[in-house]
Amino acid sequence: MIEIKHLRKEYGTLTPLEDVNVTINDGDVISVIGPSGTGKSTFIRCINLLEKPSSGQIIFNGVDITSKGYDIRKARRRIGMVFQSFNLFGHMTVIENIMAAPVDLLGSGKKDAYNKGMELLSRVGLSDKALSYPDELSGGQKQRVAIARTLCMDPEVILMDEPTSALDPTMVSEVQNVIRELSKSGRTMLIVTHEMNFARSISNRVFYMDKGGIYEEGTPDEIFLYPSKELTRRFIHRLKVFETEITSESTSHSAFEEGLNHYLLINDILPSMQYRIQLALEELVWGILLPRYRDPDINISVEYSVDDALCRIAVIYKGEAFDFRESDNRLSLSLLSSIANNIEYSCNKEIEENRVVFTVS
Amino acid sequence: MNKTLKNAKKPACILLTVLLVTVFTLFLAVSSYGGEENSEDQLAFLSEPGVRIGVSNGSIQEYLVSKMFPEAELFYMEKFSGYEALSQGKIDAYVYDKKQMELAIKNGLKGVKLLDQTLGDPTKIALGISDISMIPDLEGEVNRFIGELKADGTLDDMYERWVINHDFEMPEIEEPVSVRCHLMVGTTGDVEPYSFYESNALTGYDIELMHRLAAYLEADLEFMTFDWDSIVNGLKSGKIDIIASNLQMSPERAEEITFSDILYLESNGVMVRDTESDGAGDNTVSKLLSSVKDSFEKTFIKEDRYKLFLSGILTTIFITVLSIILGTFFGFLIFMACRKGNRIANAFARIFDWFVQGIPTVVLLMILYYIVFAGIRIRGDYVAVMGFTMFYASIVYNMLKTGVGAVEKGQTEAAYALGYGDIHAFFRMILPQALPHFLPAYKAQVVALIKATAVVGYIAVLDLTKIGDIVRGRTYDAFFPLISVAVIYFILEWILTTVVKRIERSTDPKMRSPEDILKRIMADD
Repeated sequence: MIEIKHLRKEYGTLTPLEDVNVTINDGDVISVIGPSGTGKSTFIRCINLLEKPSSGQIIFNGVDITSKGYDIRKARRRIGMVFQSFNLFGHMTVIENIMAAPVDLLGSGKKDAYNKGMELLSRVGLSDKALSYPDELSGGQKQRVAIARTLCMDPEVILMDEPTSALDPTMVSEVQNVIRELSKSGRTMLIVTHEMNFARSISNRVFYMDKGGIYEEGTPDEIFLYPSKELTRRFIHRLKVFETEITSESTSHSAFEEGLNHYLLINDILPSMQYRIQLALEELVWGILLPRYRDPDINISVEYSVDDALCRIAVIYKGEAFDFRESDNRLSLSLLSSIANNIEYSCNKEIEENRVVFTVS
Repeated sequence: MNKTLKNAKKPACILLTVLLVTVFTLFLAVSSYGGEENSEDQLAFLSEPGVRIGVSNGSIQEYLVSKMFPEAELFYMEKFSGYEALSQGKIDAYVYDKKQMELAIKNGLKGVKLLDQTLGDPTKIALGISDISMIPDLEGEVNRFIGELKADGTLDDMYERWVINHDFEMPEIEEPVSVRCHLMVGTTGDVEPYSFYESNALTGYDIELMHRLAAYLEADLEFMTFDWDSIVNGLKSGKIDIIASNLQMSPERAEEITFSDILYLESNGVMVRDTESDGAGDNTVSKLLSSVKDSFEKTFIKEDRYKLFLSGILTTIFITVLSIILGTFFGFLIFMACRKGNRIANAFARIFDWFVQGIPTVVLLMILYYIVFAGIRIRGDYVAVMGFTMFYASIVYNMLKTGVGAVEKGQTEAAYALGYGDIHAFFRMILPQALPHFLPAYKAQVVALIKATAVVGYIAVLDLTKIGDIVRGRTYDAFFPLISVAVIYFILEWILTTVVKRIERSTDPKMRSPEDILKRIMADD
């Protein structure tokens, strides 16, 4: 139903969307997830041309709506949109907000529009607020009205741009319930969201956006349980990653320490755990590996999982095969083994790569 | 040490003050007492250093006083403010046309008296003639006409009737049978008995003279009323053919304009404060009431002056309301053109805004009237409407800019997302929400505009303020006409703001009742 080809969007020097190619089928309920600043909102706003794409095509029901001379108003009447900041019209009552577009743009009779609006309002549980003004409503109520307003145009597709992000935590579920109900109605929907569980439970497809496009897409299970790509995995497991290299040119201990400390600090890792991570790396790298290798090439990666409060550390060092557990630095070894769990050592002799993986909790 | 010095100084100061006061009182007593016996001393006090003398700007009297009394401090004033300043002791003497001063005292000007002695040589009075008139050889025609009148004694007779006897009866002068040309005469209407308003119409020596001139030229006669400050501009820019308003042949003016032959000579009178007839002593309530009644009678009833006020009010309303409507319209137009960031439109708006906001409105009006429309005979009130429309358009443009800017961008996006077009979204969603942001400022600007129109007298428009001046010139009463004008302005402002408030309320969606909303919703079209 919507086919997006080579969509690109630039703002000056910034290019949030480099090359997006995707097809949205009739009835799809798609969650768009990803770190902030990766162009999720830009992507969804390009679909109804609220953002004008720099290049590329968007084909809606076989018509290229990006082509010159196409009257975008026609497409927008069939593509509903729900905004993060609700954007209800402040000078109109709730029912007028809902009726305005059908009466003004679709030529509906006022009575029909009113009846339909009231029916939609009762569907979102707000029929008693018909004559209230938007500023008399709570955030959750506003967003439900905004959804009813969109529905009153009978759109084929509904775009939702972070519909619950501006809400108090207590109001998130009332809006999510409305969207969940809607997702069962068979209407095509695209939802940009940060609520992972919600995204997983309502959608049949998930787009993970990063690196200027749709980085990985799949079913909720594919994305949330078995992400195949590294960035997706990190995002899903909410992994905070610190990577650094220690080579013969850069063996500065203080620079390493500074980088690590900054990382530990900004990710709110508990002080006791911070200490253990620092100590483990200290003993392994400076206590055992550096004295051993004259020409070191060591790659350190620290992944902290917010969900599990667990830290996974991988140290890869090049050179002759050497199981660090055979080191004669007994003190370092005993300290390390008291901190690290699930220690694994492997060695690829062909490329002379040693790999140590362990966890710290 | 310091203290003793101060203490020693104190008695000396007091002594000196007492001495000065005594001398001053004595001097006043002598000067007011010995009027008749000691006529040669009458003007002596003008030579004293620091004496405050009132004169009209650019008049012969100014020239004379500054020549004869270089030590004096000059105060430039209009005629009426001169009388007022004198009676309130703000100046010591007022030098002006003696015949007009005599008339003012005859008409009840209080607290002042006219010295018998006159100042310098008599002043020559003539007509001012435009060099760029459409009437061929206007100067020659006018001088031949004056020569004829002088020869058959008409001019003397006119002077006798108007200026000496104060016989304000305008004789019948036959209108020309066929009209050869159009004669536009500029006058001030504030120099009784030469040019003044009686019963809503101009009359006086100069007016009669112009009727005769029109008959002589077989011309169709029209008068235009100017301020003294701008009447010469009017002549030079070709708005009028002739100035007829007891015009003095001052050397400065002679450089600027062409004068006709001399009509008559006028001596320069000196008016001083009359301390004896100071009415300040008897201020009982009944006296006050009767004087208010008297003032009211003089200001509104006598010679049907309320008609003058009515026409002034209508002019003020005409200019204000039309400027508001047109200004709002054009301001809106400019805003709509600039809204989408069109570069040419924005550059134009910026320059327009800078120009109109950067200069005082009175200067803007005068530029329009005397420079832009120089030589074009356009009515002053139309030019006023044009000027104030520009002024108001720039205000409305700026108000719209801030008002619309205050509406969140999301409102436009929501309308677009529903399928509204740009203009439709603006009028349906954005403008109604911008209105509450700028209507209060708009209301204030309406009041500001009414007040601002008070300067249109500069371009020969007889608005409320100017009418107040004219009436003041006839009644020699500062207080009542000024207060009346102020009160009328208040009423006009009240009416206009009430109208805007109405609009404000009717456009505020939150003022509707729920029943109203439902009725509107259900009204099937």
